[in-house]
Amino acid sequence: MSAVALAAILAIAVVVFVRRARVRVALLRAAPGAARTDEVGTRARRELVHVLGQRKLFQKALPGLMHAFIFWGFLVLFPTIVEATIAVVDRDGTLPLIGQAPWFLFLVDVFATLVAVGIAIAFYIRKVQRPDRFRGSHMEEADKILFAILGIVSTLLLWNATKIALGMTAHPGAEPVANALSTLFGPGQPTETLERVFVWAHILIVLGFLTYLPKSKHLHIITAIPNVYFAKNGPSGHLAKLKIDLEGSEEDIRFGVATAKDLSKKQLLDLFSCTECGRCQEVCPAWNTGKPLSPKLLIMDIRDAVAGLDPEGEIELQPPLVPNAVTDEVVWDCVTCGACMRECPVDIEHVDTIVDLRRNLVMAESRFPTEAGALLRGVEGPNENPWSQPASARTDWIGDIPVRVLDPGDPAPEYLFWVGCAGAFDDRAKKTTQSVARLLNAAGVDWAVFGGRERCTGDPARRMGHEYLFQMLAEQNVATFADAGITKVVATCAHCFNTLANEYPDYGATLEVVHHTELLSHLLAEQRLLTTPGTNGSVTYHDACYLGRHNGRYDAPRDVLESTGLTATEMERARERSFCCGAGGARMWMEEDIGTRINDTRFAEAAGTGADTLAVACPYCFVMLDDAAKAAGSDMRVADVATLLAEATLGDTAQPEAPGP
Amino acid sequence: MNVSVLAKFVPNPTGTPQLGPDNLLIRDAGDGALDPGDEYGLELALQLVEAGGGEVTVVSMGPEEALAGIQRGLAMGAHKGVLISDPALRGADALITARVLAAALGRQTADLMIAGVESTDGYTGTMPATIAELLGVASITAVRKLEPDGEGFRVERQTESGYDVLRAPSPALITVTAGATEPRYPSLKGIMAAKSKPVERLSAADLRVTDLMSTQTVSSVTDAPAKAGGEVVSGDDAVARIVDLLEEAKVI
Amino acid sequence: MGATWVYAEVTPEGLHPSALELLTKARSLGGDVAAVALGPGATATAAELGEHGAATVYASDDQVFVDQPGRPAAHTLKALIDQHAPALLLLPGTYEGRDVAGCLQALTGSTLMANATDVSGPDRARTEIFGGTKIVDVDLAGPEPKLVLVRPKSFPAEPSGGTATVVPLEAVVPPGPVATVIERHAEAASGPKLEEAIVVVAGGRGLGGPEPFAMLDELAAAIGGAAVGASRAAVDAGWVPYAYQVGQTGKTVKPEVYIAAGISGALQHVVGMKGAKRIVAINKDVDAPILKIADLGVVGDLFQIVPALTEEVRRRASS
Repeated sequence: MSAVALAAILAIAVVVFVRRARVRVALLRAAPGAARTDEVGTRARRELVHVLGQRKLFQKALPGLMHAFIFWGFLVLFPTIVEATIAVVDRDGTLPLIGQAPWFLFLVDVFATLVAVGIAIAFYIRKVQRPDRFRGSHMEEADKILFAILGIVSTLLLWNATKIALGMTAHPGAEPVANALSTLFGPGQPTETLERVFVWAHILIVLGFLTYLPKSKHLHIITAIPNVYFAKNGPSGHLAKLKIDLEGSEEDIRFGVATAKDLSKKQLLDLFSCTECGRCQEVCPAWNTGKPLSPKLLIMDIRDAVAGLDPEGEIELQPPLVPNAVTDEVVWDCVTCGACMRECPVDIEHVDTIVDLRRNLVMAESRFPTEAGALLRGVEGPNENPWSQPASARTDWIGDIPVRVLDPGDPAPEYLFWVGCAGAFDDRAKKTTQSVARLLNAAGVDWAVFGGRERCTGDPARRMGHEYLFQMLAEQNVATFADAGITKVVATCAHCFNTLANEYPDYGATLEVVHHTELLSHLLAEQRLLTTPGTNGSVTYHDACYLGRHNGRYDAPRDVLESTGLTATEMERARERSFCCGAGGARMWMEEDIGTRINDTRFAEAAGTGADTLAVACPYCFVMLDDAAKAAGSDMRVADVATLLAEATLGDTAQPEAPGP
Repeated sequence: MNVSVLAKFVPNPTGTPQLGPDNLLIRDAGDGALDPGDEYGLELALQLVEAGGGEVTVVSMGPEEALAGIQRGLAMGAHKGVLISDPALRGADALITARVLAAALGRQTADLMIAGVESTDGYTGTMPATIAELLGVASITAVRKLEPDGEGFRVERQTESGYDVLRAPSPALITVTAGATEPRYPSLKGIMAAKSKPVERLSAADLRVTDLMSTQTVSSVTDAPAKAGGEVVSGDDAVARIVDLLEEAKVI
Repeated sequence: MGATWVYAEVTPEGLHPSALELLTKARSLGGDVAAVALGPGATATAAELGEHGAATVYASDDQVFVDQPGRPAAHTLKALIDQHAPALLLLPGTYEGRDVAGCLQALTGSTLMANATDVSGPDRARTEIFGGTKIVDVDLAGPEPKLVLVRPKSFPAEPSGGTATVVPLEAVVPPGPVATVIERHAEAASGPKLEEAIVVVAGGRGLGGPEPFAMLDELAAAIGGAAVGASRAAVDAGWVPYAYQVGQTGKTVKPEVYIAAGISGALQHVVGMKGAKRIVAINKDVDAPILKIADLGVVGDLFQIVPALTEEVRRRASS
């Protein structure tokens, strides 16, 4: 009898589950894009560390513990579902081999309790602490899931307790908690009935949970596994190449994401894996300064627009995601700092999706903040830089510093110093360029610059979504590098660095790219640069997003600063937690109308350390934070690491030395 | 409503212009672009046609490279182009150019013809009025706002002291001031679509313009006395120096 | 040589100063000098025109010249030209002058040179190119009269004494479609648009607040034909609206003169104004980057300099 009932219920549950899951699977199948299959070893390792090891969850201590208990508990307790299924049909049946083993019983008991503890912590966090990251999340759905999990483990523990009370277990001592609970039950009735009740309840809750899964955010327990596997290998600052061939037909070109059917498989997996935990929202510079962009809400909104769609019919008729699922404002608020991606426990790639939305807005619809048009016109126009400055002015910073400017056909230097547009045209950034030049000369490095042959790397155009413009510049610059026989490049701008190092190889470049702080640190270590001891003062270092978080370079700038003799203090949000200066994502060329300014916010944090100097390693950070310093009327000096080193090495009036061999 | 837009292909507006040995401006192919001043009119044309139907035609006279300027207009949304490219027209002065453009415009059936107030490289600002007279149509320069109004147009015209409102019957020729509209940035789809839009090519002979004798020749080009550029002053005579500069610039 | 004529622009406020400048020049060329004045109040200007060298003043007070810009004036001129055959006609490079000259060229088929800074005869004029760094002399050929549009304020206006004979005219109104003025608006407060203004006076962080912008308004009014702009710092601080912003995320301006007061000259501002023909910068910081790109940099206190500048401009304008 029980067997028939169980079979029927199982069948119904499975059918419902499959039917509900089918739509999602069909969507995934229909989605464009191929699975990433490179570097399987790295992927497997990430799976172990992020999923099994719950590494990213532990970035927050208490919530990490809470989730680890529940997740590990889920893994350990999985066999007990099978056990309960068997026991429903055959009261005395257990799992073969391990069913009565003391160690297994002990593990089950402990982990079931830990899960319950986890749930308690979860409720504590959600109902007592009430962190702001949950703003906008579906709390009732979460509560239901938490209660369901609690139901699963409590029915399990209670079932085990009744089994102990009925003398069905060989080693009651192996289950301390169930054993303690068993004192609630006497032998015989009603315990015998209760034992049946609990085991049936356990199965029903589990099956109910199973059918609930496909349409809830709890589906992450299935989708997170492939989502982490298929996440990007390599630096997060590396956007995927989108080859655009204007000669081809329009249907063949993917202009980014316009409607639901343009979302790739990975992007859909991202949507299905989001648990609305809000860790991304908590660190987003836009959200933190009062703007409507929250990475969490963005993913949720797109998910809600897409999740239930029939991939054969409805999906063709869907209106564009922007502005129907997310507004234009939200898409443009993003500074592409990657803080969201760093926090996300299931490796959702918010920035890549936002850039894909921008690609459609810019390339297909030409819909973007008007002031950013100046950026595009500058980069696309005859001078090919965001400020429309003449190419011949790229060498204005040189003055009387001995600098070798490479002409076509000249022998290649060891290092090509990529000055970048900011470093050539912006007054503040020029100081950094000059400092680096002087230091390289003092260290006897064999280096040269391209001068007027440099073109914008295309980074701001790409982050803004104009992939085609980026492609043209990349191809052009890669050819310049190849023709000149360059093998090593040093750049002062974190954005140039990221693009040259990570993205240009997709266009055929074979370059070894270092950031100037790395090269300087290396020169100091080799004693090719010597600092004069006795520099007084304190400094705090702002980690540039495209050097730090996106590319993992935190130490070299700090080592350089240490060598200057300045006393270092760290901001609370430092290294991977660094708070963006606000210029990324092409926002350097856009106005901030809503809330407080990101750069002002970050500067206040820096000033709060009490340090005399704010050290930067990127010209965008330099401009943004220096502007903020002026707006705040602050005395705090903003300077690049290279300039501070130059002052400690060469002094203010040092004679520039001739360049190396 | 059909609108014809006059578009000039000018050398890189932010680069350093050069004169060739014949004292004519070197119009380097790679470095040129659609005159930014013409984009305002083009945007106005596109907005009018989007609202009321019709077609926008871009008309340009210049070397073969001027096609790029027309293509930009097509990428922004114009429907067709007309390029008058003829070696005989090299160095043509304002009157010859006006006759050529008037003849080209005369072949279209536009309700409205639009030009920029002045070109970035020549900045004479007189040619549209000449063209209008040759065509015998009403003309209004320095327009900052335009609305269709029955059989004609209601127009706001920038004046030195403010603005006037005028009425002109259709067909009319207007010039549009900078800032009158915000020119759209052509999307990649627009750029691709532009390739298949028709561009008619005409020569001076096609337009029956035969008198091509230029009436202006440059007899000499000399360097102006070097401006005491980049001087920094302080003190009592600073104010006087500023006013001297203003007088020198002929703005007071 | 043939006569030199001057198109004397008549405005509701009276004679446009360019008329007197052009007559002064015309006198120096030798030959007869005449002026053509069209529009209400034209006949009344004859005395002043005569004092500056016009022997004859052809005048019509017809309202049509203000109601229909350009064409009636050009056709009336054409009729006169057919009758009297001057060799050279000088017109001012104003909105009206360009309209009249452009239209007239279609009728006379003669050469039209614009933006002249000097005229040396009926067949020779001079202009400047490349931001004023090169002087170009141009020979004018073809049928008479040569038409030359002269930049206002190219010459001083000097009276020579003398009286003019007034010859009244009938306005020649061409048939065919015309544009007609139906309303006139004087925007004394706002003046020209930032992008169109010949002079831009801009304020930055150094102004310290919204009130000092009134100082810049006054300077702009004193100069005339000037607009007030601002750097991003002033706009961000809420002192002036975003419409004032000059720079990479604001407007790009190319005036004859750009006066930057209290603006440091960061790149994002400079990209919006580097096309100005002449840049004047007033800043108390000798290291401010803007002083490096200014044609005339003034290190000093803008709160002293700007009002003093306004006063001096007014003084010179009235003298």
